[in-house]
Amino acid sequence: MKISSLSCVASLLALGMTASAAPPAPVPALIPEPTKQEAPSDKAVYRLWHDVQGRTVDATFRGIEGENVFLQTKDGYVYRLPFNRLVPEDLAVAKKLKPEGLGIPADPNVARAAQKIDEIVAIGLKSAKQEPNALANDEQFVRRVYLDLVGRIPTREETMTFLADTSASKRAKIIDKLVSSDGFNSRMFDYFSDMLRITDDAQKAKFFTYEEWFKDQLRLNRPWDKIVYDMITADGKLLDGGASGYLLRDKGMRLDNLSLTLSTFMGANVACAQCHDHPFADWTQRQFYEMASFFGETDTYKSKSSGGNKGAYGNLRKELTPEELKKSKKLFLANALTITDGDKNDVKLPDDYKYKDGNPGDPILPKLVMWTAEDKKLPIYAMADAALKNGDSKEDLRETFGKWMTSPQNPRFAMTIANRLWKLMFGVAVKEPVSDLDNIEGSSNPMLLTHLAEEMKRLKFDIRAYMRLLCNTQAYQREAITKEIVAGEPYYFPGPILRRMSSEQAWDSCVTLAIGDKVDEYKLKRAESYASVMKLSDQITADEIRSKLASMGRTMSKNAGAGKNAKNSKRKMMTNEEVEVDQTHPAVLDGLVLARASELQQPEKENHFLRMFGQSDRQISDSESDEGSIPQVLMLMNGEAQSVLRNQRSLVLSTSMSMKTPEQQVESLYYSFFSRKPSAVELTDAMAALSSGLTVSDLTWVLFNSREFIFVQ
Amino acid sequence: MNISLLKLDPVSRRVFVERLAKTTLGVTVLPTVLRAEDEVKTDNAALPGFGKAKSVIWLQMIGGMTHIDTLDPKTGETKGPKDAIATKAGYQLGGYLPKLAELQSDKLTIIRSMSSKTGVHAAGQYVMRTGYELRGTIKHPNLGAWAQSTLGVRNKSLPSSVCINRNSDHGNGFFSAAFSPIPILDPDSGLQYAKMESSPEITDKRLTLLNKLDSGFRAKFQDLNLKNYTDFYDDTLKLLGSEDLKVFKLDEEPEALRELYGSNKFGQGCMLARRLVEKGVRFIEVSHGGWDMHNDIDDAMEEHGTTIDTAISALIGDLEARGLLSSTMIVLCSEFGRTPKINSRSGRDHYPKVFSTMLAGGGIKGGFVYGSSDKEGAEVADKQVSIQDFHSIVGHGMGMNIDQVVMAPNGRPFTVGDKGKVITDVFA
Repeated sequence: MKISSLSCVASLLALGMTASAAPPAPVPALIPEPTKQEAPSDKAVYRLWHDVQGRTVDATFRGIEGENVFLQTKDGYVYRLPFNRLVPEDLAVAKKLKPEGLGIPADPNVARAAQKIDEIVAIGLKSAKQEPNALANDEQFVRRVYLDLVGRIPTREETMTFLADTSASKRAKIIDKLVSSDGFNSRMFDYFSDMLRITDDAQKAKFFTYEEWFKDQLRLNRPWDKIVYDMITADGKLLDGGASGYLLRDKGMRLDNLSLTLSTFMGANVACAQCHDHPFADWTQRQFYEMASFFGETDTYKSKSSGGNKGAYGNLRKELTPEELKKSKKLFLANALTITDGDKNDVKLPDDYKYKDGNPGDPILPKLVMWTAEDKKLPIYAMADAALKNGDSKEDLRETFGKWMTSPQNPRFAMTIANRLWKLMFGVAVKEPVSDLDNIEGSSNPMLLTHLAEEMKRLKFDIRAYMRLLCNTQAYQREAITKEIVAGEPYYFPGPILRRMSSEQAWDSCVTLAIGDKVDEYKLKRAESYASVMKLSDQITADEIRSKLASMGRTMSKNAGAGKNAKNSKRKMMTNEEVEVDQTHPAVLDGLVLARASELQQPEKENHFLRMFGQSDRQISDSESDEGSIPQVLMLMNGEAQSVLRNQRSLVLSTSMSMKTPEQQVESLYYSFFSRKPSAVELTDAMAALSSGLTVSDLTWVLFNSREFIFVQ
Repeated sequence: MNISLLKLDPVSRRVFVERLAKTTLGVTVLPTVLRAEDEVKTDNAALPGFGKAKSVIWLQMIGGMTHIDTLDPKTGETKGPKDAIATKAGYQLGGYLPKLAELQSDKLTIIRSMSSKTGVHAAGQYVMRTGYELRGTIKHPNLGAWAQSTLGVRNKSLPSSVCINRNSDHGNGFFSAAFSPIPILDPDSGLQYAKMESSPEITDKRLTLLNKLDSGFRAKFQDLNLKNYTDFYDDTLKLLGSEDLKVFKLDEEPEALRELYGSNKFGQGCMLARRLVEKGVRFIEVSHGGWDMHNDIDDAMEEHGTTIDTAISALIGDLEARGLLSSTMIVLCSEFGRTPKINSRSGRDHYPKVFSTMLAGGGIKGGFVYGSSDKEGAEVADKQVSIQDFHSIVGHGMGMNIDQVVMAPNGRPFTVGDKGKVITDVFA
């Protein structure tokens, strides 16, 4: 008897298979997702499966999990069939077959949340009369998901392990593994340091404590709202606590800092309102100053040489030599980086204020902005009002602002980070640019934008959980779009777009090719030693200054360590070249420090691979560039990175060379660079080249210089 | 063993490059000279100064250059920490620019009535480079790309525009990547890796194989950036065959002259710009950061004012000595000025309402001040000049038809300087 897939439910139940049309409420662990999934693509292989009672079903193989075989019929339903129900021949086939499509989800709750997103994406696509792309194959998926979640390509081993895994939930599992790995923290640090303009050097001091504080937040997976709240409300010296680095990065530039805060964290396009009423948006200059007034009692600027120790400095003037005084300037500058709150609000309307609702020099009281008239009904506004009225409350203005900004009730805070991280994964945001969410309706899919914001809140601003969710959607797991994307035209997410690797992804991938998955072992640590050397006591003496100056010299040369650019550190490193790596020592090959971008200088020197490949100089938010240039191509063809990969000790070359036949050598390189097998034609071409004068090392150069390497599909 | 392409004699180098070009499949090789309706009479062509500037050196100060402490000094309440100084040309300059005042002031035109609406850095830098407001939907070209598209290239093997001390963004705009400036992030290092690390034979084989193995991927995606990369590889190979590659090597210059420009990235960048002008590169931007002087403006001006004073004075003098000043326009500009009032932290904040720019050479009048601000330096007092006017002046000086409409790929019309006016007073 043959059963039609359209009327099979009852028969399948009789067979001992389970299926259901609607998603049931809580799903017990290990019971497969019973909801309807994307129907397998036309290319999927269907076959007739036989049960022990002689019945058949036409379905594709989705995988094996536990003692169950998962099959999917053409209408999209996924069925679980215990081993002992299948005839032995079919069970044997199942054990050999490669699973089709997405596999089965590991966590039914994530699966359902992902499906909800997919449904909303589908609505958007339908409204534009577009079809979704086919699902990406495992090779495309594994390379993309490694790059997106841990910021580097998978090693050959990692790829082969994934491809060979027959588990039906392997995609979900690799996502879970990657989001909770060290590499994820590096990836997110790279992203946020571009967004927040994190630099080693600012305000004539080092911002190491800020960098390491931020890395700690990522490592501990602290929720985004908590991280941002801490940055906005931090007090005290930068040397004591890194969170103050956010405000001190723009020391004495309160208005510029606020403009970034509003656009970066809430997508409020207010920058123009700093100088005049916004010409298109609704923001007025007065509103901008009312927001600035929340920072009006906060001082990030201390007289540069006093460091809060003006008296002490005056006395030292007599005791120290002019040379010592000059050198100690650095010490005082570093100690002067501090945030204090007073009780006097000094925000006033600017001298050229030209609107009728105020006069130049008028003091301005703090007032929160709203996006719609409805916003004022939100309890968070009432809470902020109450705090502002209660003059003797312990809560300072920044705390009121921070609570409002990072609240789930804030109309834009969750949406902004949700939209940003979506862009990180898909290459395009639901609403572009990410710094302007004033008009939600102007996005390609407003329902999706709103839903993602709700998901961010439901997940309590857990960045890992949110990224995990996005990766589990079919929208993410589809093939990249092959058509030209026209700037300014709405994108409905038939799949991610083709992206050039970020500078950090490209560099970290090179490091991975050279040293493999040890790439995450080395961690740059500079904050503790810098703070201990630089920090002055309250009762500073001339002797203390002299001893500080002596230890400053020692620490500075040590701190240069891993961050130093290849050229400068070449001489020093040649003598103790080391491919071995541990927590405190990076791998070094050909004089090149092989550490993650997150563990190098922030940003790197201009002539480092990272900068030539587009790393932001961290002056302007989100300014990483994906554009090519002639110097960049020269570097790819002739620079240190290609040369390191062709060193006999690099993992990619030594692995390939260890293979017995030329075919295997070519295949090994293909897995290392592209996470896939070469096609028959590619294999033939590569073999022909190898027998006519090119070496495996030359082939390494060729794959490194291919577009397929630097683009993510 | 590495064999330098530079060591090959010119003939083998040319053959090599031609062979490379042939093996580089799927590449659009742009004609070396692109001309668009060059016979068309333009309205501005009859005006003075048209086409005198064969090259432009565009010096963009990043962060917002204070006008009161540089080109538009004041004596009243808004006076900066340093007294203004008299110049030999009669007008005054900020106290941090003694060399310009003493040596070159008679060759400069100062515009003191610039005004814009953009008081934020990113958007301000964009509009100053392109003449257009920053939009999410299209990228606008800078004057270097405009010139390459309408006037063509002057040196067949070198790129038509170069940007020094910055990345190549705000460059080609909606023109193809071939119009993108070549970025030199560090003038001392020049153009790094400009030496193929394999022999010509091996390089040839490698590139042939590369194009074969990568062809499937390139054909699959209709992505502009992907295509641009393929073009960049082609352009790079073309450049490697250039006999003028040495232009990027500053160590060929006498040490004393290098020092005259100043031992810093801006000074050396200006010197590299001069070398590029000698080779016929049409548009060179040299940028210099550090102008966002919200705090302690005196310290900051000591450093950055001195840097530009030294470098620009040397540059003008050097160009003049080589007979190139009359055909090279030097432009000094910034995204906005800074507040007249000194703030409580001894600094000045952003101020787009009025600010100053400077022009020299390439047909520009010497010892001339155009427009003015009021006595505080707070408002335009006379002859307001927009950033679009400023672009029109430079575009006109380069010989471009500023009325010629170019359609961008999105079907929208654009012109050099976005319909600004050419202010002919600034031309000699």
